[in-house]
Amino acid sequence: MKGLLRLYPRSWRKRYGAELEDLVDRTPGGVGVALDLVIGAAVAYRDVIGGNRILAAAGACLHGMSVAVLVQAIGFVTLILIAQRSENPTDLRLGPFDFATVTRSGYLLQGPELRSPVTVLPLIIQGWIPEAALLLVLTLALAAVLAAPRLLRGLR
Amino acid sequence: MSRMTAAVSAVLLLVVAAAVAQAGLLGLLVLFTSILRLYLVIEIAGHYLQMSPLDVPSFLQVGIRNAGTIGSFVLTLASGLGAAAYRYRRWRPVS
Repeated sequence: MKGLLRLYPRSWRKRYGAELEDLVDRTPGGVGVALDLVIGAAVAYRDVIGGNRILAAAGACLHGMSVAVLVQAIGFVTLILIAQRSENPTDLRLGPFDFATVTRSGYLLQGPELRSPVTVLPLIIQGWIPEAALLLVLTLALAAVLAAPRLLRGLR
Repeated sequence: MSRMTAAVSAVLLLVVAAAVAQAGLLGLLVLFTSILRLYLVIEIAGHYLQMSPLDVPSFLQVGIRNAGTIGSFVLTLASGLGAAAYRYRRWRPVS
């Protein structure tokens, strides 16, 4: 249990470490206490980062980049979801800039038995399920990342 | 001189953070390639990075062009920079 105290910022440990260590010694260990210590460490970091202008800006920078990565991942899966319905290549372009192209693989288009809707349709329908699941997971992750600063601010 | 050093350090840190974020995005794309059975080709300044699952044929071929790769890096960098600038300007000491 005492190992969790190392999660706290060094400046915080210097000031309150001995006091908290004593408190942990006198408290019977358990999952609840461990969770309290982890949440306490998050709050301590929030206070240290929020109290310094440069650190706050650096934290916001990392947060912004995480959001951008998740948005791009959602865009990628959405592009796949849209493109697999089209028989023609799907281009993602803006003016002269061609960002990405999605084409159906040749093996689906070769041979009359493979080309028939009876063969291709189940593949397309099956293809929707993992993509929709991925999209759902990514959207939930984005919502969690967007809500994280507010949730952290609400912790005491 | 110290101001110059601080500015260069900030720029380097920003670029490294964006590179790490892009590596995370690449990791996600590798995962998607495996789950969605894609044949993925990423173009980076005349070089090609190709990924496809070994055991099953790929249903879709996805090509990310140079503009896409550079645009993704720029978007990540701009998002980080924008969020940092916004927070820096609106920062107030904790009361």
